[in-house]
Amino acid sequence: MASNTNNIETSQENNVLDTLYDLTQKITKNYTIRIFVQAFFTILAVMTFTFVLIRLMPGNPIDVLIEQILVQEGISYREAYDRVAASFQFDPDATIFDQYIEWLTDLFRFDLGNSITSPGTRVIDEIARFLPWTVFAVGTALLISFVLGIVLGMTMAYYRNSTLDHVLSLLASFMTGVPNYIWGLLIVIIIGIQWGLFDVGAMRGTYDSDVTPGFNSAFIISAIQHATLPIITYVVSTLGSWMLNMKSSTMSVLNEDYVNVAEARGLKDNRIITAYVGRNASLPLFTQLTISIGFVLGSGVVIEEIFVYWGLGHYLFQSITVRDYTSMQGVFLMLTMTVVLANVFADLTYGFLDPRVRISGEK
Amino acid sequence: MLQQILKLPLNILLFGWRIRGNRAGLIGWIGIVAYFILTFIMPMFVEFDDEPKLDEITGPLGSRIVLVVHKDDADIKTFEDLEGKTVGVVSQTGGPILIEPYADTLTVESYRWSSRRDGPGIQAALVDVANKEIDATLIFSKSIEEFIYNQEDAELKDLFEDNLVISNPEFGPPHILGTDTQGRDIATHIVHGGRVLILTAVIGGVISTGIALVLGSVSALLGGVVDNVATALTNLILAVPRFPLLVVLAGLIRFDNTLLLGVLIGLLGWPALMRAIRAQVLSLRERDFVEAAQSLGLSTNHIMFREILPNMISFVSINFIFSITFAMYEQIGLVVLGLAPISDYTWGVMLYFGRTRGTLFNPDGASMALSPVLAIALFQVCLVLFARALEEIFDPRLRSTA
Amino acid sequence: MSRKLKDDVVLKVDDLSIVYQTNRGDVKATNDISFELEKGKAMALIGESGSGKTTVSLSLIRKLPKNAVVTKGQVLYQQRNGEVQDILKLSNNDLRKFRWQECAMVFQGAQNAFNPVLKISKHFEDTAYAHNWTDKKAIRERALNLLRLVRLDPERVYDSYPHELSGGMKQRTLLALSVLLNPQIVILDEPTTALDILTQRAIIDVLNEMQEKLNFSIIFISHDLSLAAEMADVVATVYAGEIVEIGDVNDMFYNPLHPYTYGLLTSVPTLDHTEDLLKSIPGSPPNLINPPTGCKFHPRCEFATDKCKTENPLLLADEGTHLAACWHPDKVLEARKETV
Repeated sequence: MASNTNNIETSQENNVLDTLYDLTQKITKNYTIRIFVQAFFTILAVMTFTFVLIRLMPGNPIDVLIEQILVQEGISYREAYDRVAASFQFDPDATIFDQYIEWLTDLFRFDLGNSITSPGTRVIDEIARFLPWTVFAVGTALLISFVLGIVLGMTMAYYRNSTLDHVLSLLASFMTGVPNYIWGLLIVIIIGIQWGLFDVGAMRGTYDSDVTPGFNSAFIISAIQHATLPIITYVVSTLGSWMLNMKSSTMSVLNEDYVNVAEARGLKDNRIITAYVGRNASLPLFTQLTISIGFVLGSGVVIEEIFVYWGLGHYLFQSITVRDYTSMQGVFLMLTMTVVLANVFADLTYGFLDPRVRISGEK
Repeated sequence: MLQQILKLPLNILLFGWRIRGNRAGLIGWIGIVAYFILTFIMPMFVEFDDEPKLDEITGPLGSRIVLVVHKDDADIKTFEDLEGKTVGVVSQTGGPILIEPYADTLTVESYRWSSRRDGPGIQAALVDVANKEIDATLIFSKSIEEFIYNQEDAELKDLFEDNLVISNPEFGPPHILGTDTQGRDIATHIVHGGRVLILTAVIGGVISTGIALVLGSVSALLGGVVDNVATALTNLILAVPRFPLLVVLAGLIRFDNTLLLGVLIGLLGWPALMRAIRAQVLSLRERDFVEAAQSLGLSTNHIMFREILPNMISFVSINFIFSITFAMYEQIGLVVLGLAPISDYTWGVMLYFGRTRGTLFNPDGASMALSPVLAIALFQVCLVLFARALEEIFDPRLRSTA
Repeated sequence: MSRKLKDDVVLKVDDLSIVYQTNRGDVKATNDISFELEKGKAMALIGESGSGKTTVSLSLIRKLPKNAVVTKGQVLYQQRNGEVQDILKLSNNDLRKFRWQECAMVFQGAQNAFNPVLKISKHFEDTAYAHNWTDKKAIRERALNLLRLVRLDPERVYDSYPHELSGGMKQRTLLALSVLLNPQIVILDEPTTALDILTQRAIIDVLNEMQEKLNFSIIFISHDLSLAAEMADVVATVYAGEIVEIGDVNDMFYNPLHPYTYGLLTSVPTLDHTEDLLKSIPGSPPNLINPPTGCKFHPRCEFATDKCKTENPLLLADEGTHLAACWHPDKVLEARKETV
């Protein structure tokens, strides 16, 4: 790599290049670091993408707002532009590039600007109010759905071609076929309205209004109650695909030599099912998990509206309706960040479970 | 190659025969054909019911207009029997519409829906039939309950029960799915409500599959910088959650045409499929027959169209069907939120109005709420069952019987 | 059939007949297979693919596929304390305990024999725990010793994951694992197939050393005659689900009595044979759903007579422990004399 040249300067340069090369090699070889680095660059790219989108799109918010202010207040273009710039937190005299840098630094300080329609409220504060509820509902649901899906999927594989398998397979296909917000509507209409099993009105919001937030049991119970419907909807709509994927994954693992050898070694069935079959069969599901996370979090926009559950999706929709562009932008970024971070978490868990990825650094 | 694409619909139909061994897939395929007939062929024969009818509001399934006559005239049952007779119809109900074609063979006595002096027009018409002042009246089946059986006025109740008889309980056409909160037949709405939806979804599917196919194969075949750029772009779009982006864009750009919305959905939907296609093409590229073609000096074009793509038809078809389901999902999601054009009265628009007018949560409006929901749900399920059955057929490892 | 075994016999198989039930009919995989395995001795089962040799070995640990039915026979195993069990009649729990502890089977190809998410150490521990041995330290010590015995770097291998080892290393690790619980029998299915020459040599040497030190009986399954020549004490040739010849290794190689054995020997080049003396056995393996009448080898046998077509020869003793199932072993003798 570094050739011995007579020129001392060149050899010093080579050393720098060498260390840089070694560093990049180390980064790409270590799975954990690679995951974080990729996530970082993805977030950076998304921020840039949003920046460009906001400014260059037809009907972009900046121009629209300026237009709006001009029409409503009849002030000069310059004044309108300044005001919009203040809301969007960019210096109107600065170059695009400087604006970009300022934008990035603000984001990294978690300064997402102020709401346009509710002046005085910071977007980040609003997000902090709504984000935990979405994460709570989606996280719980995905956890339940994943675990249940794995168990049922393995059962289906072990009892392959039995009546149970056929019934569960059909059920699973059916459940994934129906869009998740349709499930939400079905649940509300059939179970809530027609059968009257729960009071639809009381289910609005994320917790009962007469309960004080905090670590008291009344609040926790109320929160769980209100989150039940969204959680059930998420679970029902995602369970099917976990079941089917786990079933096919388990079927391939059952054909593997090491399962055969494990039986020949006289291992107990329990041990084989968990550590030999279960663990290996659930590995491919993690790729599915990353896709699922993005999808479920994204679909929250509709589902939270249907159930009047005040999470991030609801906030996004509200800000779109009232044309609160800074909030919209902030929520959108936050949502994307949440997805990226959740995926980081899923990737790390995968790395923990599959030593082949962790140790050799290659996938 | 082009021939193969054009033959695709025929192939899909023929699959019905091949699929007969796979029960779930058969159900899916039958469902898709049924939906095609329902949404594209039946609208030619069934007219969209646009007429609000005050008496038929949230009419239950199967309710219809009945013919009420005096018990002495119990043998008057059809339009022919009514020739020359006087029939009472109440304005703003289903009566006037039903009787219109026969207006010159009989005498129409019009009652106003609410008459300040005599009370509700329906009741006035019933009284007149009981008193033999008119020969018959047309009344909605639900109203029978309200005005005759549950009549509070004891005198009127006796009058009706002594003199009136329902000579033909099946006089008017039945509302198979009942009626909505304006008294309009839901079944006709369902029949007409699928066309635009499905077309938009198909457009979205075609565009996203097309882009994914082109980008994926070109990227895999050319490699190098082109591949890197394409992959980076794909990963970027993949990182952004698709639906919120769509919501934001739909919120910012006003759409007048649903089909244009389909184009937008298609433009955002290709990344996931692009990766899969790229992986497929990459693996196929390494196969021997491609190497053989290359050593024969055949052009990249030829290799792509004659060697690689034909092997991917099954894979692409299955994913095409899935992309239709995604496009449908996103489209309806946007409509329910109110971010998509609502000019066509599609199933999604029915849901939107249901939500905004509260009828979705109306206990009496079960059919109105559930009909579009079930229409959408069953369509998606049929597509998914069919696509999964195709998967099983093309990938023997997934087959349930070994 | 008695259940008492001679002191030095560890395994006795009597009239073992196994059938695979398939859509096209019953495949008679093995037919009245009988043999004895003495303690500390190595026996090779030689035959073509589909001859039934793997089926026999699978039946010894009862890992036959679901559609296999044992229609006849018993597999008697003598424990160290003299107690004799019929493997085919063991309860599920007893079978589990029997597997690996009394009899270990090393399948063909160790590439994928290990659970990719568990360390090698975990594999050893798992095996020990399943047989009620929970002393981690003792397990580790014995494992390291065994790894040393198979010529691997013990600490390094013990702490690694399967994907960090090469194919040859995995094969040897599997061998070490197979004797962890000190079984009396180790069954090796094609131990050297799919390995390069140098690794083959290493494996053979390792096996020899292991057998010397730990004194277990071995059953080889192979189509490789040279392996049998090097390692086996007793060789049995299997054809169409039957043992057609069995005897001491020297007797078998220098004095084959069955045309099939003879055919196998003459199809392999040796240092002093030249090309023109090589003969392959004509024809192809028989259909086991409808096997040939009489002697199953007769369609491919150059010495076949009418008697061979109608009567199936029994495994007869020609001299002492060398048995052959053939009506005309003398013809084989003649043929050999012509080539020497």
